[in-house]
Amino acid sequence: MAKGNRRRRRRSEFAYVLKLLIWVAAAIFIFEGRFIYTMVTFDASEASAVSESGTEEETETEAAQTEAVHYVISDDMYLAGLGDADRIERETVEETETETEPETHATVSDPDSAAIVGEQAKAEDDSYFSDAVFIGDSRMEGFRNTSGITEGTFFTSVGMSLSSMTSSEIISDGEDMITVAAALSGGTYGKIYIMLGANDLGEYSWDDFKSGLVSVTNRFQELQPDAILYLCSCIYVEEDKVTTGDYINNENVDTLNSILLEVCEEEGYYYLNFNEVLSDGYGSLIEGASSDGVHITAEYCKVMLNYMKTHYVSVEDTDETE
Amino acid sequence: MRKITAVICAAALAFSLTACGSDTKNDETVTIEISELAEALLETVTSDSLSETASSLVPSIYYLDEENVASAVAYASSGATSCEIAVIESTDTDGTADVESGMQTRVDNQIELYTSYNESEAARLETAIIKSTGVYTVLCVCDDTDAAEELLESYGF
Repeated sequence: MAKGNRRRRRRSEFAYVLKLLIWVAAAIFIFEGRFIYTMVTFDASEASAVSESGTEEETETEAAQTEAVHYVISDDMYLAGLGDADRIERETVEETETETEPETHATVSDPDSAAIVGEQAKAEDDSYFSDAVFIGDSRMEGFRNTSGITEGTFFTSVGMSLSSMTSSEIISDGEDMITVAAALSGGTYGKIYIMLGANDLGEYSWDDFKSGLVSVTNRFQELQPDAILYLCSCIYVEEDKVTTGDYINNENVDTLNSILLEVCEEEGYYYLNFNEVLSDGYGSLIEGASSDGVHITAEYCKVMLNYMKTHYVSVEDTDETE
Repeated sequence: MRKITAVICAAALAFSLTACGSDTKNDETVTIEISELAEALLETVTSDSLSETASSLVPSIYYLDEENVASAVAYASSGATSCEIAVIESTDTDGTADVESGMQTRVDNQIELYTSYNESEAARLETAIIKSTGVYTVLCVCDDTDAAEELLESYGF
């Protein structure tokens, strides 16, 4: 009788443990089933294809992965214009299974073009700009305001585009608003620096932009026949920060810069490639060089000023060209 | 009663319209450390980080005759906003009116240009403060105009 009781107790204990195991298995299946299923069925290539499909959720995931990768480039490399992809050390802040390579853009059409102003052995000081006139949009105005430049005449206007630079009365002489050409006629200058493009991205057909640019730069050169005319490259933007329109993107900046360079080559002007020191090496503005993605901070306006002091055309250079 | 109400309303309207106008006090004895004042006014700009503009360029920005400017300190934007601060000391009190006029011209031009470019910045420019006392004139385009007014009052403006 005692033996029978012991067997019955063992059987009921076994049944109790079995029931417990079944409940645990059921709980794991219910709560972790999705995870187990994903582990078993995960296919990296499929995941990649899905991430490119552009749904909001997946775009967020991709962005998070991209943010997790931090690119470290030393200041010296930027200043030397060496922010190239192959020279960049990467530091992975958080380990990610897949690394998202930033999209690269072509820069100017011919980086070895003779029209691109090269670096001179001797840096000039601010007095070099005493006979210079700076024409441009809010970026040029920001350069005047924050670079620390102490010399030069500035004909700037927020929102200046090729069209308004050509014919609108957007420069104040203190009494009236006059055109850039009228303002330029009021003095004699040895150098003309023109910075525009940020307000022209996506506005024109590129052919119209080119012919309009040739027309207005030739007009300016006629007004100041002895001046060296520099066309400043359109500086890259930080696309993620730009809120004023999708057309303000680095692909358009590259296209516009190719046209600026072509005009310089064809018309005998000089191309000042600021992106040599302001690019992150992937065809975008250095992260942190702008608060709104477009306008350059004081720190980098100073970099631009130093670039201008070491990248100029000497009189001998212009004689050789002639 | 209606007449009194109308007079009060007209007075209130007149005061509100002077918000963007100039305000001159001819206290020739006042002495101000213009760098200190300009730095203090920087605190009223919260939406942008302004940088000091070379003083040699200040006369041309405000359409002034260099000979009439004894000293000047200006802080301006990278272009991201229309915020700017300028404190100019004229060579004599007669020059103050010219400085005020130049600053007003600058503000008017900026409003015109920003209206088609960035309306919120044009609206900010409408609240620009231009004030003078003695040989000193201030332009302040900022975020916290109440704080700027209070600060300027403490400096005798």
